[in-house]
Amino acid sequence: MRPQMNASDCANSNRRLISDFNYPYTVGQMAKADSLGQFEQLVLTAILGLREDAYGVTIHAKVQELARPKEVSLGAIYVTLDRLEDKGLVASWMSEPTAERGGRGKRCYRLEALGERALQESAVTAKRVWDVVTKVWGKEWGKQWGKEVG
Amino acid sequence: MPAGPSRTAEKIVAMLVPPACREEVLGDLHERFLSRSQYVRDALHVVPLVILSRIRRTADPQVWLMQAFALYGSFVVTAWLLDGALLEQQWGLLRLAIPAAMAWLGLILEDAYARPARQLLTILSRGPATGAVLALLSQATFLATNPDWALPQAVAVYGCVASLFLASSVRMLFPPAADQLQGVNAPAAWLKLVGGSVDAPRGSLVWGVVLVAATLLGYLMWR
Repeated sequence: MRPQMNASDCANSNRRLISDFNYPYTVGQMAKADSLGQFEQLVLTAILGLREDAYGVTIHAKVQELARPKEVSLGAIYVTLDRLEDKGLVASWMSEPTAERGGRGKRCYRLEALGERALQESAVTAKRVWDVVTKVWGKEWGKQWGKEVG
Repeated sequence: MPAGPSRTAEKIVAMLVPPACREEVLGDLHERFLSRSQYVRDALHVVPLVILSRIRRTADPQVWLMQAFALYGSFVVTAWLLDGALLEQQWGLLRLAIPAAMAWLGLILEDAYARPARQLLTILSRGPATGAVLALLSQATFLATNPDWALPQAVAVYGCVASLFLASSVRMLFPPAADQLQGVNAPAAWLKLVGGSVDAPRGSLVWGVVLVAATLLGYLMWR
């Protein structure tokens, strides 16, 4: 059995965001909202869903749930989080160390404005794809497919 | 509740994971611990990807290219000065590229494993020194296993010395991305947009020019 995590660990920590540094430019100037890969969409969706409790382990669990039945490795989550942070789509900060993690802190994540916009664009595109697919194959197909993949 | 991973296992993983992301990775692995075999499996999946991701984050392709040319140039010029025939031999240029590639690997790994807020002397010395040690180790391995591929001893040693100076000069002029901001996970891509180093060593340009000039002068006098 895994130790229970306190959901407020990330929320109550002393946040030191990348955006706390005095940059001479804004998030909007850093990068355009690139189109996201499927895995990046999953990670962003997981962070959005987890809200204040988004860190490595919880993000991995959430992405695993979203990507089922595919297996997702924790390493792939770290790589994607780094890439998303480089693109300015997410921001991270360290939480206070906790005993259940061997006295180590968590790196918590939250969506930046650019990340929210990119995710919105992806969701709208996915909705258009869904509309066309269900129009051609019928809504029953959607329900059936949903049951098959769990 | 299962006990945590053994201290030895954690120490090994801690040694392999770059310091910039060590705390969160070790904490996450600790939190996911269910059994020893599961911990080892998790670590094997996570560690290589974390290292590659860190290398990508600290990478600056332009500086990488400059460093590669500087390192290769060191060995080629040394061979030209000491043993010109080596350059005309079949595979001669490839033999010279091997220690240069090892020295380059040393620089890349040193940047990936660098702790934030390094001192100027550390930036200048540790990466090139790690590279030189790896280059010499590769030559020692060739001497022991396949001497045909090893460089003449003088070329290998003086090439390493020259690479130390030239690589240090390049690093002085173009500090590694990992050193440009003291935030542990500050993305390299953002830093480049700042238009220069946030925390560049003072007078680095002057010292870089002096080092390059001293290296060239040393070569000419020695010749």
